[in-house]
Amino acid sequence: MTQRSGTSVEFAFVCSLSDGLHARPASQLAEVAIEYASDCLITNLRTGSVASLKSVLAILATDIRQGDRCIVQVRGSDEQAAHSALLRFVEQVLPTCDVPLAGLHPTTASTTLPRTLQTAGVKGYFGSPVSRGLGRGKVIPLSGMALPRDLKGQAASDPQSELAQIKRAMAAVRGRIQEKLAHPQSPTEAAVLQADLAIASDVSLSQKLAEHVSQGKSAGQAVMEAGAFFIDLLRHSESEYIRERALDIEEICLHLLQEIYGVDLQTAAIELREPSVVVAETLAPQQLLGLERQWLKALVLEHSGATSHVVILARSLGIPTLTGVKNARGILSAGQEVVVDAIRGFVVPQSSAAVQKFYEREQKTLELRREFLPVPATGPAITTDGKTLEVAANASSYEELSLAFEKDADGIGLFRTEMAYLQRRRPPSEEEQFAIYAEAARAAAGRPVIIRTFDLGGDKDAPYLNLPPEDNPFLGYRGVRIYSEHHELLQAQLRAILRASAFGQVQVMAPMISSLDEVRQFKASISEAMQDLARKGIAFRSDIRIGVMIEVPSAGFILDQLCAAVDFFSLGTNDLNQYFLAADRDNPKTAELSDVLHPGFLRFLKRIVEEIHAAGKWVGMCGEMAAEVRYLPVLIGLGLDEISLPAPGIPGVKRAVAQLSAAECQRALANIVECEEKSEIEELIERAQPARSAQPLLSKELVLLGSQSKDKEEAMQEIVDAFYIAGRTEDRQRLEEALWSREAVYATDFAHGFAVPHCKTEAVTADSIGVVRLNQAIDWGSADSKPVNMIIMMAMRKSQNPSRHLEIFSKLARKLMNEDFRGHLLTVGNAHDMATYLAQQLEISLH
Amino acid sequence: MKVVAVTACPTGIAHTYMAAARLEKVGKSLGFDIKVETQGAMGIENKLTERDISQAEIAIFAVDIAVEERERFNGVKVIQVPLQDALKDPHSIFAKIQS
Repeated sequence: MTQRSGTSVEFAFVCSLSDGLHARPASQLAEVAIEYASDCLITNLRTGSVASLKSVLAILATDIRQGDRCIVQVRGSDEQAAHSALLRFVEQVLPTCDVPLAGLHPTTASTTLPRTLQTAGVKGYFGSPVSRGLGRGKVIPLSGMALPRDLKGQAASDPQSELAQIKRAMAAVRGRIQEKLAHPQSPTEAAVLQADLAIASDVSLSQKLAEHVSQGKSAGQAVMEAGAFFIDLLRHSESEYIRERALDIEEICLHLLQEIYGVDLQTAAIELREPSVVVAETLAPQQLLGLERQWLKALVLEHSGATSHVVILARSLGIPTLTGVKNARGILSAGQEVVVDAIRGFVVPQSSAAVQKFYEREQKTLELRREFLPVPATGPAITTDGKTLEVAANASSYEELSLAFEKDADGIGLFRTEMAYLQRRRPPSEEEQFAIYAEAARAAAGRPVIIRTFDLGGDKDAPYLNLPPEDNPFLGYRGVRIYSEHHELLQAQLRAILRASAFGQVQVMAPMISSLDEVRQFKASISEAMQDLARKGIAFRSDIRIGVMIEVPSAGFILDQLCAAVDFFSLGTNDLNQYFLAADRDNPKTAELSDVLHPGFLRFLKRIVEEIHAAGKWVGMCGEMAAEVRYLPVLIGLGLDEISLPAPGIPGVKRAVAQLSAAECQRALANIVECEEKSEIEELIERAQPARSAQPLLSKELVLLGSQSKDKEEAMQEIVDAFYIAGRTEDRQRLEEALWSREAVYATDFAHGFAVPHCKTEAVTADSIGVVRLNQAIDWGSADSKPVNMIIMMAMRKSQNPSRHLEIFSKLARKLMNEDFRGHLLTVGNAHDMATYLAQQLEISLH
Repeated sequence: MKVVAVTACPTGIAHTYMAAARLEKVGKSLGFDIKVETQGAMGIENKLTERDISQAEIAIFAVDIAVEERERFNGVKVIQVPLQDALKDPHSIFAKIQS
């Protein structure tokens, strides 16, 4: 693929990134190229456009999309070195650049208002809720990012002084970004500022500016025209991500103009003095950061994709945000009071009584939900026979850490640190790592945080490691094996971890241990880092717990030696399984073989846990096996002290643990490891599943007696809100719509003042029965019926197999035809008694 | 008099069973020998046998959707009413039968 052509060296490649060669890989590519004196050019063979690899903007302008064939040409004094560095980057780092920025889950936008608002004739404007929450305030329209157009008549003085002005302005803009970068409020903010800095330092931008000035333009005109040139290029990209980047350039250009002309431009920071909702076409990150947080209640943007930096920032700052609200600045007028519902996805004027009432109720609902919801998931996970299983989270970023503790993780069982080493030219500094680890320790508030030292090599390469290409990287130079060659890198990380240990329960763990010798060297490295810190008088925990991953089978056969050397172990089942069974799980031909339920593998795990416990040491599991809630009986049966999994799964796992008996799980596992057939194993696992569903059909939170609702819409809203408070729905709009679409067939009331609204929908998290008893009877909409004062709601999850709950629903339906039953429902005294009576009549449990 | 009935509604969660219970109750109180089949979310339950159908003088379909296995009722007199009628005014259905 490499050849000499004329006097340059070149290679070709095909872009495999789905977003094309977007800003992040482009800036990394430029970082590599800039290190060398040689000219580095890239040609997009589809469009024929050529760019210098030293300029991010120029690379972006070549609009390299997925599947485009490109040629890289290098010419100059150090062309060989530059060529190999670029080739290495393109082959090894580029394919990993598609990882999206953390925390982005574009949500589908709703297009209907809640019924109570619809019937009141309220007009709503819809958008995607990209940062959830409610915000009210006065509309402040921002004219956004358009560059001023009235600089045409500007007279230029001599090119030399105009150029000097531009250079001074660029230095000032960079200086200001760097100032903010010194104290970022979050890693997200730091990443955004880094991207801005890259643009403000871009070679092609400077070149373009110089070009315009030399043609006799003023500094201001040059900035405008250069800005317009690049913005136009990026706006025409296929990739939404790159189109978003046009904003970043616009912003830098505006900052330059402000430097050149002072701060009198129309986009100068707006001062907020009261609760405000900022409405804009879109915002630049720095514009957002410049707004008064205290008064900024919500953002409404006409255009901004999920990857735009302003959206990422809004989320990290917790500002309710809607995007994609068409013509928002035309519809919402300055000073108008609005409510931004970035839970459901619309903005409505606050003026009508219906809206005020709706959001007063909403406020209460949200408060009740906050009070109620944490209860079922908090606290340790304890089996029915009293054994505690720590349920911890895997994390690799700041965003994942905060989510982990939101989901009530008992700790961080695996903090992967290698992400900070990838996709960059230099390794992270000790300070940078310390900041993240210390933040983790503080966020954990006393809970353990197990930090695994970098596991690089294999499929994770970083250019500065100079790892040799290998035929079989998974059996090669990776994990702890590269530590002696990269001694300083390890020392810097160990110092960062040790320093963070002064702030909480930080523990350190080594990856890929296969021998006692590796453990001894690892411990010697820790001692060295400790001595270093002690010499400098820096605080750390000298009794920090030291552990190792068990992911190489040999480690499982020297546990007596390892137990004497370390404090704890964590089973890395992904690698352990593939090394144990000699089968690659990413290879479709062998995927079947890489089975964590293989009796041999389960026996192996069982032996490992028994032996570690016999030596009085602690053992957890952090592989994917731990994330599969169905395997929980096996994991509990193994007697693990901890399992560590992605945070979103934690509440479900904790609930399931509370329904299992450790003794029964042990018995099940003893049978499972004796099985000869895979189907038998599956069957035993199925039988070992917790008997009861996570949520009972009925609970007293779903019983509302003495309701004040005045009409059908309000009563329906009340019951749907009750579901939301009890955590039985996350999507009230969809649940409400499902109920109303059933009502549309015909109203669900029947004689005697009873109504039975019902639906089948994925919007509920569990099959549920809700009850509302009204103080005052209301009309239910069918012409020939009496007003309704009793509502029995039945919601069923959509599923392939008819649920056993259907039987209970039909039983309830039949019982409603019984006068005594109805009489009791009408007179029973309180919610608790109502739930108890229904449970007894339907022969169901309330727990 | 022997009567058979089928109840069915679109979701098959509530009304199918409510109507069945109501028809059974009112029918019995009026002295009918009645058996009601439900076609709900759980499929066909309390299924009417060939014998049940052949002995019946009349079949009531209290349904808002098509009756499954309709061919079983070929040759039997059928009264079809909206399911709501069975819930709200079952007496008039039976009055129609007797007239």
